[in-house]
Amino acid sequence: MMTPGNGPTSGLAESEDLTHWQTLQVIARAVRFVKPFRSRFAVKIVLIVISLIPLLMLPWPVKIIIDNVIEGQPINEPLRPYPEALAPWMNALAGYSPYELLFIVIAFQAALFLLIGAFGTTGSERESTEGYLASGYDTASRTENEANSGFSLAGGLLGLFDFRWTMRLSQALNHHYRSQLFRRIETLPMPAFDDERIGDAVFRVMYDTPSITNASYRLLLTPITAPLHILMTVAIIGTLYGDHPELIYCALAFLPISFFATLPVAGSLRRMSGRSRKAGAAATSTAEEGMSNILAVQSLGGEENQKARYETDSWNSFSRYRDVFRLGLYAVLIGAIPGTLVGAYAYFIAIDAVIAGELSRGDFGLLTTYFFHIITSAQLLGGLWFSVQDSAAGLHRVFFLMDSPGEEDDPSLPSLTPIRQGLEIDKVDFTYPDGTAILKGIELRAEMGQMVALVGPAGAGKTTLAYLLPRFVGPTRGSVRVDGVDISGVNLSSLRDQMAFVFQETVLFDATVAENIRFGRGNATDEEVREAARIAEADSFIRELPEGYDTPLGRGGGKLSVGQRQRLSLARALVRKAPILILDEPTSALDPETEARFVSTLRSINRDRIVIVIAHRLSTIRSADQIVFIENGEIRERGSHPELLAKPNGRYQDFVALQSGGED
Amino acid sequence: MAGISTDSDLQGLARLGDGSEQDRLHLRLILRILVRCLHLLTPVRKHVFLLFTGFGLLTLLLLPLSLLFIDTLWTRVLQGNPMLEIEAQLFRVPIEQATSEVGFDSDLRRLVAERLVIWGALIGLAFAPPFIGLYYYQIWILQRVNQKLRVDLLSHLQGLSLRFHSDNTVGDAVYRLTQDSAMVTQLVQALVLTPFTAIPQFLYSALVIALFAPKLGLILLCVVVPSLLAGGWFSQRMRTRFRVARETNAALTSRIQETVLGIKVIKAYGAEKLEQEAFVGASHEAFHAAFRARNLYAVYAMGMFWLFGTFAIFITAVGTVEVMKETELAATVLGFTIWNLGLYNYFKARLGGAVESLKDVFRTWGRAQDIAIGLDRVFEVMDREPEVQDAPDAVPLAGVQHDIRFVDIGFRYQADRPVLDQVNLLARIGEITAIVGPTGSGKSTLMALLLRLFNPTSGRIEIDGVDLTRLQTASLRDHVSIALQENVLFGNTVRENIRFGKPDATDEQVKAAARVAAADDFIERLPDGYDTLLGERGSKLSSGQRQRLSIARAVIKNAPILVLDEPTAALDAVTEQRVLRNLSEWGRDRAVFLITHRLSTIRQADQIAFLRGGLLAESGTHDQLMASPDGAYRALVEAERIAAENAR
Repeated sequence: MMTPGNGPTSGLAESEDLTHWQTLQVIARAVRFVKPFRSRFAVKIVLIVISLIPLLMLPWPVKIIIDNVIEGQPINEPLRPYPEALAPWMNALAGYSPYELLFIVIAFQAALFLLIGAFGTTGSERESTEGYLASGYDTASRTENEANSGFSLAGGLLGLFDFRWTMRLSQALNHHYRSQLFRRIETLPMPAFDDERIGDAVFRVMYDTPSITNASYRLLLTPITAPLHILMTVAIIGTLYGDHPELIYCALAFLPISFFATLPVAGSLRRMSGRSRKAGAAATSTAEEGMSNILAVQSLGGEENQKARYETDSWNSFSRYRDVFRLGLYAVLIGAIPGTLVGAYAYFIAIDAVIAGELSRGDFGLLTTYFFHIITSAQLLGGLWFSVQDSAAGLHRVFFLMDSPGEEDDPSLPSLTPIRQGLEIDKVDFTYPDGTAILKGIELRAEMGQMVALVGPAGAGKTTLAYLLPRFVGPTRGSVRVDGVDISGVNLSSLRDQMAFVFQETVLFDATVAENIRFGRGNATDEEVREAARIAEADSFIRELPEGYDTPLGRGGGKLSVGQRQRLSLARALVRKAPILILDEPTSALDPETEARFVSTLRSINRDRIVIVIAHRLSTIRSADQIVFIENGEIRERGSHPELLAKPNGRYQDFVALQSGGED
Repeated sequence: MAGISTDSDLQGLARLGDGSEQDRLHLRLILRILVRCLHLLTPVRKHVFLLFTGFGLLTLLLLPLSLLFIDTLWTRVLQGNPMLEIEAQLFRVPIEQATSEVGFDSDLRRLVAERLVIWGALIGLAFAPPFIGLYYYQIWILQRVNQKLRVDLLSHLQGLSLRFHSDNTVGDAVYRLTQDSAMVTQLVQALVLTPFTAIPQFLYSALVIALFAPKLGLILLCVVVPSLLAGGWFSQRMRTRFRVARETNAALTSRIQETVLGIKVIKAYGAEKLEQEAFVGASHEAFHAAFRARNLYAVYAMGMFWLFGTFAIFITAVGTVEVMKETELAATVLGFTIWNLGLYNYFKARLGGAVESLKDVFRTWGRAQDIAIGLDRVFEVMDREPEVQDAPDAVPLAGVQHDIRFVDIGFRYQADRPVLDQVNLLARIGEITAIVGPTGSGKSTLMALLLRLFNPTSGRIEIDGVDLTRLQTASLRDHVSIALQENVLFGNTVRENIRFGKPDATDEQVKAAARVAAADDFIERLPDGYDTLLGERGSKLSSGQRQRLSIARAVIKNAPILVLDEPTAALDAVTEQRVLRNLSEWGRDRAVFLITHRLSTIRQADQIAFLRGGLLAESGTHDQLMASPDGAYRALVEAERIAAENAR
């Protein structure tokens, strides 16, 4: 038995917060994680650069319309020289009448429009492609957009291509990441799992993994594209209006402004995001638990209680998300104060230059547009650290599970050859890390063809002892050997291939009867499935089901009685035809008659296997070749039923007396 | 919703969300969902009113200001045209000087520019906090709406029969609670806030443009027709894809949930790889569905923008010509009479605004399809009528004085498969009724009927002569304590688990109940005693310990009817004896139903009911049943005795 509260990872013992340095490590790890996708990232970067170039050209048609069409200035006598790259193009336009110019510009805009979906300077005449759908105001519903993140700076055909490329990349990243996490969850050792909350696992796989998108895009794309964007823009402004470098400085000032405005709250954001995720997971868990155990909720009258719990947990998840949100708003607000002042100053300089006749109105429009281009990228760069904090909190939760020690199934270890002789537990102790001893000095041998019964009071350590054989837990001292080979030296799947385990709690899957039985061995024939069901005393009731073996069981086999479910789980173990069969209270829900039939069939088929059975029922225990009486983690007595009964004042004798006491 | 049967007859409960009705969705559905959601706003209507007032006031203040600021900047300061009177007043410069060609010199322009920039900055800063504050307020309101929908949905799910739950996955329910319900926050945004802001904005822009140039305004209004046609074509297809995306994601959620739930079995049978493959498949499918849905949505948004953009380019071109010609305006607007550069920029800004608002409306319409599908999935469950419902004239159960009577009870899950048939049974207060029989003979079902977890297919159950269907279900269940065969514990403290069915129980009562269940000793030994947090499903405890907690949970309700479904199967003999002794003492003036296989337990019953294949084979006291030579019960006892003798 698991002793309460001291499992190796009891609860989620993860740290609440990370330092900035640890955060950096988490994010660096996420970036390393996306390495297999590096060529696709490279394409994405090229796509960003390709879409930047036409975007930077967007203001030109507007300038031409204002200066050369409306105001009618000759195109080859500009107030300021054109940038070198553009000069030949502009000069080519010289000599056209304003109407001709208008037509050319409109045609150019229309072409640009089809290609990149933009034609004006302001945001409204531009379409950037994205496929973000509505999300709610809580962490979980926000993450679906992140997992399927697709975006492009451009619209039009280029934008569409870029968008599809990005969404595919995001999905591939997330698919890879959550599959890895899922695989990890499957390999977590069993005691750890007993403590995990299912809703929490769901939350981590579904809603924490998408953090990889934001983190990797911010870290891999922004540092390349933002400076590039700034450099290109600065180069254009520099050649155009080089005598007003203050403007560029003002725009660049937004980088430190965003950085310093957000830095003090970055840590808080990370903590709050962590709390928001935790609260979301708790709400998911509560809902999951209530739905899974609906029979208990309804029959115990727990509806109000469960509703109240969910109400609290759900509102808590909303509130914690609001904390995250508030912090974001706050960061915007504190950044806005210096930002507005700097922006106002820059505007004034530009206006002054127009009044002084140094700049045309068209130049002014152009200049302010470029100014905003620089600001946007500068803010992206300056706020980079802040913007990855939320992801860091999510990544941390994912890596926490990934780092939890899993079962090591080393395929390079030798496989266990099919068992011939027997198994041996040699001086085994099992102690939890906190020092609670569960098993002490266990010595046990079982030969092929033997049936061993583990008997003893609840909490004596019987289940833990049984868990040692398939290595669900490893001994802290001593060894478990099969045919003389220490099982810690063989690969895990070859070991488990030779065992079939029936647990105390019956778990069936939402599939047909036959599929559930065949879960024990995927390639079992229909005949073998029926044979196993017959031995498990399940065949007769299965035949009475509306579609027999093809009847879907529904969630958790909900339509069957507990005894019927137990028999299916026995059949599942038997179809495996494994040489070692471990049954943990396999017949507690069976009626005595069915049980007696099952045990006697079991006896008749166990010639070529070892059966280990944990039971309270005398009728099951009695027929064992060897009965092991366990108390407080130690073996008190062992022997056959008559041998133990013959022992004066034996513990087993007391046990039998109590079992049959009062019966005629 | 359309196509989903709401009847709760025994065959009518198909699985949810098979998507069969998706093709029938149309505009009406979205409007109906909107109407349903609007009443969710009722509890927060005061806040909604305040929010709208706040946003409205701020916008009213800012709109004329921004018009004057833009004109002053472009036409006056940058171009050097004399200011309008209202502008001169606004910027507090000498009116006569500023409105004359000569007086509005560079120095004055600089002065105005200075004020324009500084005041603009200050206004921006001053307006930011109230806007941000209102935004935060809006989120709080919408979260409240979402919370209410979630809790209502959970509450409704809890009221649905076990049959419903057995047919539908947990992951699906979780997905509906978390993801689908969240759409309610955006529905308000999409179908109330956006139309209320974007459509007037579009009309306003069109109107302003029409004032300057009636023809252009008309063209702008015309764009609406083709966009509506295209929008309709797309939205049908988008809805189908959005539904598939939601269904596949819900299926993925289920896959994770089921895997973690069954992890022990998966490990023991080495099925990790298989499960991993299934997960990868489901994840791939979910992503692919999301890709198809979002891609179509992006194509739609792009197509719409192409449509508006073509119009906008054309209108700009015409507008440019007007400026070049310095055409007179159709009407005098705010003192403008002819097309000039400032007006041109303003005109362009309005045109941009119109395109922007159209883009907003149509993008939002696209998203609204997804929102509607999400909410449809919520209402699909909400529209399921619970199989067990209180009659309108149902009365509370005031107590149980005499007896519980099962009259001709029949029950079947499926038409051809009776679980119980013609069962008649009378249980009196103060008596223990043992229900005995092979597994699958209907014992637990009989007790589920007593709790009214299902309604019997035929016959009735009466408490003190009153039919259960005439009682309020909640009050009925208050009068029945049950210890389930499967000991379900919740991820909470030991104390909370014991008082699960009776949250107001005192600590003393919790302890007393634990003592009856012989659980007090081991609870005291737990690290935090009664405050020890149990893992989900109580997995930190041994099965015997869980069983005792579940008995304590039944005991604490202190109900006149006690149902113990195999209460001691996982207990060792010593503990079992203790528990049974305590229980028989405690249950003296109650009606106790005991489902068990153990003879020693059965013999203590006043009455034994032997069920076989859903029929009541025989009933009576131990002695009576033993007196019948060919009786099933007698055969059972004989078999046990022989077995016990062999053991000795």
